[in-house]
Amino acid sequence: MVQFLVRRLIGLIFVVLCVTFITFIFGYFAPGDPIQVMLGEHYNIEVYTHLRHVYGLDLPWYQQYFRFLTGLVRLDFGYSYYYQGRPVWDMLKDGIPVSAELASWGLLLTLVIGIPVGVFSAIKANTWIDTTSMTLSLVIYALPAFVLAVFAQVLILWIDKWTGQQWPVANWGEPWHYTWNDIQYKLVPILVYAAAGYAYFTRLTRTSMLEVLRQDYVRTARAKGMRAHIVIYRHALRNALIPLATVIGLAVGTLVTGVFFIEVIFNIQGIGAATLNAINFRDYPVIQATTVLGASAVVFGNLISDILYTLIDPRIKSE
Amino acid sequence: MDTKHSKAPAQPGLNTAPGRPRKSLLTRQQPPPDEASDSLTSEQKVSTPFQDSLRQLRRDRRAMVSVAIILFFLLLPLFGPPLYQHIGGAITSTTGDRIDATVYRSPFHQELGRQYEGSSSTYWLGTDAIGRDLLARLMQGLLISISIAIIVEVIDIVMGISIGVLAGYYGGWLDQFLARFTDVMFAFPGLLFAILLTGILGAQADVVFNKLPLVGANGNARLLLVSMALAMTTWPLMARYVRGQTLQLKQQQFVEAARTAGSSNTTIILRHIIPNLFSIVVVASTLNMAGTIIGEASLSFLGLGVQPPGSSIGLMINDALGVADTKPWQVLFPAIVLALIVVAFSFLGDGLRDAFDPRSKD
Repeated sequence: MVQFLVRRLIGLIFVVLCVTFITFIFGYFAPGDPIQVMLGEHYNIEVYTHLRHVYGLDLPWYQQYFRFLTGLVRLDFGYSYYYQGRPVWDMLKDGIPVSAELASWGLLLTLVIGIPVGVFSAIKANTWIDTTSMTLSLVIYALPAFVLAVFAQVLILWIDKWTGQQWPVANWGEPWHYTWNDIQYKLVPILVYAAAGYAYFTRLTRTSMLEVLRQDYVRTARAKGMRAHIVIYRHALRNALIPLATVIGLAVGTLVTGVFFIEVIFNIQGIGAATLNAINFRDYPVIQATTVLGASAVVFGNLISDILYTLIDPRIKSE
Repeated sequence: MDTKHSKAPAQPGLNTAPGRPRKSLLTRQQPPPDEASDSLTSEQKVSTPFQDSLRQLRRDRRAMVSVAIILFFLLLPLFGPPLYQHIGGAITSTTGDRIDATVYRSPFHQELGRQYEGSSSTYWLGTDAIGRDLLARLMQGLLISISIAIIVEVIDIVMGISIGVLAGYYGGWLDQFLARFTDVMFAFPGLLFAILLTGILGAQADVVFNKLPLVGANGNARLLLVSMALAMTTWPLMARYVRGQTLQLKQQQFVEAARTAGSSNTTIILRHIIPNLFSIVVVASTLNMAGTIIGEASLSFLGLGVQPPGSSIGLMINDALGVADTKPWQVLFPAIVLALIVVAFSFLGDGLRDAFDPRSKD
């Protein structure tokens, strides 16, 4: 097992290196001279060369890449092009707790609602309850996050209009604080964010559960006269959750981009919003930083899945 | 969330069941020898697995409704605009000129002074923030969505099949390359690679592609870049599916028989492997269409795809976000159309999988 994990780890390091290289190369070949854009039309040549030096743009590409790479390890992503002299990390660090909060609550809600509904659907397989639930989840799954968010926003605005309430549809409260005011801000974005994942996990749980319910040991347990809920929760559910454990790690990728769209629509100042601002201003170092951060999160998630898998499923160890 | 990050992607298509070799899905299976001498009636009863699957698909009500919706949204942007512009009579513009329907019902014409109008006989779905016809813009947006989906899918299928088959059939360095390349591409979460590519090279694409006829006009210059970015993120998955299927097909007896009979590798690949990839590719690319349409809409929504004055569903939603509280239809029309088309492709893909994947028949 250790050997397997070490091999995976080496593979993942290779992947991270490739990702950083691709990200770097895009920035390197990006059209336009960022320093020139920064200084405008009339500039002092000395200031120009000085700035080029500060940003490391006078170095050959491999040295620039090395600088980029060693910077990443220290969470030093260089300086912003748009906000001159401001470190990229400074711009992102305020957003990280916000995005992390949105993502963690979203994931928690996804699992807490998605898995029970999936199990219930599997138990009631091919009844109208199952069909309705599966159709609903397929619709939610198919819809892009920003369309869901827009629907939710319009709905709340209508409710506000009818009831004369002032339920907010934008902004975010204090990160990790939960007064009633904060909850009002956070509830809807988190719900919308969780909806996409909910659809996926419900379908996955149902499939996995149906597969397990067909197994011989479930039939044996039933034949012994065991009560139905014990069979379902003790025997079936435990085994049905194995594939889910691995998928949670793999779902990190969609969690990351999901944050982007929710943040834009609900005007939440997380890293997603910071990145999109950077895109508008062509602030390449910020875009590079979030890409690398996002990709690292995915790779880390993959590693967690691998570890979880080997821990949960004893069959892996023997292989 | 999607499954594309899983390391061993579930095969969406079929596994050719052992003992059911099929040389080609499109030709009628030879009846068994003992029945061959029988009358015509017995021959008519024999249907290929492909025909069985088609019949099952036709019985799937959800998939058939989806086909109808997709066809409607395919024909609407092609025949809708000329028809819509033909129906309308001339109106007096706010500048005082008489203008034809071909002018005011064009997706780009601005009637300043007739902003945010509701539905009327002049503007069937009303007008947007600068007095442009919403229906015309919606049809133009659909055209963009569908063209992008088709372009990306063509690249996806060509790259996916060629690299996937070669990697699966020959193995070796190409297989290694594919495995590593997919690993790297999967590490970019969701749309982030496309966001990176279009965000950094977008402005350059405007300059380079602007001179192209048709593609360069109306702010569509970046769409080439968007399609390339989306295709780059989708073909590795397709290649993986194809590779997996090829590995299984390679072991089948009919391939062995063909090899024993002296067929060259090229013949085996073209005659026996590729035709059997049909269902897996169709299922995967239908589901992919939904993803591509979402991808283009999302990028345009973020301002990375179609540029103003062009129209795209994502751009329309973004334009209307500010007035979602007072004029919700502005945002609901494009959102509902996008939702319908994406859900239709997903349902159709789901139906195709149910019909063509023997493992899902339970």
